[in-house]
Amino acid sequence: MLPTESATRSAYAVGIRAEGLTKQYGDKAAVSDLSFSAEPGVITGFLGPNGSGKSTTLRMLLGLVRPTQGKITIGGHHIAELDDPARTIGTLLDARAIHPHRTAQDHLLAFAHAAGLGRERVDEVLEIVGLTDAATRRAGEYSLGMKQRLGIATALLGDPGVLVFDEPLNGLDPEGIRWIRTLMRKMAAEGRTILFSSHLMSEMELTADNLIVIGQGRLIAESTLDEFVRAHTTQGVTVRTASRVELVRALNRAGIKLEETPDSGLLVHGVDSATVGRIAAAEGIALEELTKVRESLEDIFLRLTHDVTDYGSQPA
Amino acid sequence: MNVIRSEWTKLRSVRSTWIAVLSTISSAVALSVLGSSDLSDVSPTNLPADWDPTAASLDGFLFAQLVIGMLGALSITPEFHNGMIGTSLATVPARSRLLAAKAIVVTAIALVTSLVTTLLTFTGGQIMVSRAGLPAAGIGDPGVAGALIGATLYLTFIALIGAGIGTVTRSTASSLAVLVGALLLVPALGPSLPGFVGEWFARYWPITAGQAAYKVVPMSDMVTPVLGIVILALAAAATTVAGHAAFRVRDV
Repeated sequence: MLPTESATRSAYAVGIRAEGLTKQYGDKAAVSDLSFSAEPGVITGFLGPNGSGKSTTLRMLLGLVRPTQGKITIGGHHIAELDDPARTIGTLLDARAIHPHRTAQDHLLAFAHAAGLGRERVDEVLEIVGLTDAATRRAGEYSLGMKQRLGIATALLGDPGVLVFDEPLNGLDPEGIRWIRTLMRKMAAEGRTILFSSHLMSEMELTADNLIVIGQGRLIAESTLDEFVRAHTTQGVTVRTASRVELVRALNRAGIKLEETPDSGLLVHGVDSATVGRIAAAEGIALEELTKVRESLEDIFLRLTHDVTDYGSQPA
Repeated sequence: MNVIRSEWTKLRSVRSTWIAVLSTISSAVALSVLGSSDLSDVSPTNLPADWDPTAASLDGFLFAQLVIGMLGALSITPEFHNGMIGTSLATVPARSRLLAAKAIVVTAIALVTSLVTTLLTFTGGQIMVSRAGLPAAGIGDPGVAGALIGATLYLTFIALIGAGIGTVTRSTASSLAVLVGALLLVPALGPSLPGFVGEWFARYWPITAGQAAYKVVPMSDMVTPVLGIVILALAAAATTVAGHAAFRVRDV
């Protein structure tokens, strides 16, 4: 068969699936009954506050931590059952997980050998991540950004169809963040499954296609980024007028909820600006300001995970 | 084979491996030469009945055994300290294979290091003995070649024990503490325990028993050289199995 693009794609078409995944440490659950999937060809963002169970979940995926219950598989298989794990899944768990006295080149060579690859592939991935010139330096002398690049180079060694990055944007400068984003886009476009975690919603907004949100080890949301925004964003309108009392009365009569803002404006919930404008016009009230507001994704994320945190801290 | 190459690359590419190799060799030679420097008091006409210049020169292993034990431990403990073990296991999820590859590479490096250490220590010790005008041992003398093989195996098994301890403790500092206890404290203090227990430690504690492997002149209070090295080999096997069991069962 000719190596057409579709053939390349199907070679990569392996997804990740968690089913009822649970990890219990003593009587504390790090991960509770978590089910989700990450599909080939898209970037899946794995979002949750620090300590929400993201890393534990990824470590179960990589076979480092044994689930108490449930399973998490790569193309239907546990990682230990894969014929060629290094060429199926590549991972960046912790950029600092390197021996400080080993050169980047030797670090990569050790993992290349384990995957049955040689020095040529090491040179290739060094080129991809832009570390060719620093290849013979000890990894301990690297900046965090360079360590992240080295970690990504390690993940890319086996040209795997599944890439898993734990907090890959941590400690990166804006240029580094843009670089990883572009790389993940390219890898996803080639048909690979990309799962990356972050505790920052702002990182997800610009990078992820799909979103898995967890808090206290439980699934909060799993959807596309667009759906997530639509489902959780509450519409609101800020109004400012000299005839404040009259407008509040008119809106109350229409059964519309509102609250006062600290800067003596009004925040109207659940209706669009046109409705507010129409009601004001009917009452002959002149408006000084009429602005549509949307809760930021960061706010939604904090609100959602905060709800779970409260729930989680209640006595069982 | 790929995993063995990988583990070899890991070990050969850090300084600590080569520092341990050189320290093993140099400390053994230095201690042997120092230990033989007071031989001028011994009269060649009045040698003690158990005069064993081979074993005497190899007493320089006292510190070297600790270093080669750490060489074994350092094949795995840094991976736990810095977290690289996660990447290693994601690349080679078969834990037994990963650990076996480490053990093979440690054994190979330790065997070569031990052989060089033994030969240089023996030679250095015999030069000092000759200089003092005393009868030195030659490699062709009866029992000497066997003792040198025993000494080489002794150090190699201790490197394997170190690797096992490193796998169980996951920590460089703890490995050092356990090795100091097992190699220096227990052989020194164990025999002074009362009665049967003290006698057992004096003869059968694997390290003490293993030291019988490089005696040319049989010692009445020690096991035979062959039994000694077998006991040490069993201890190395037990430590390796314990490390393997811990590595398979525990989360990383």
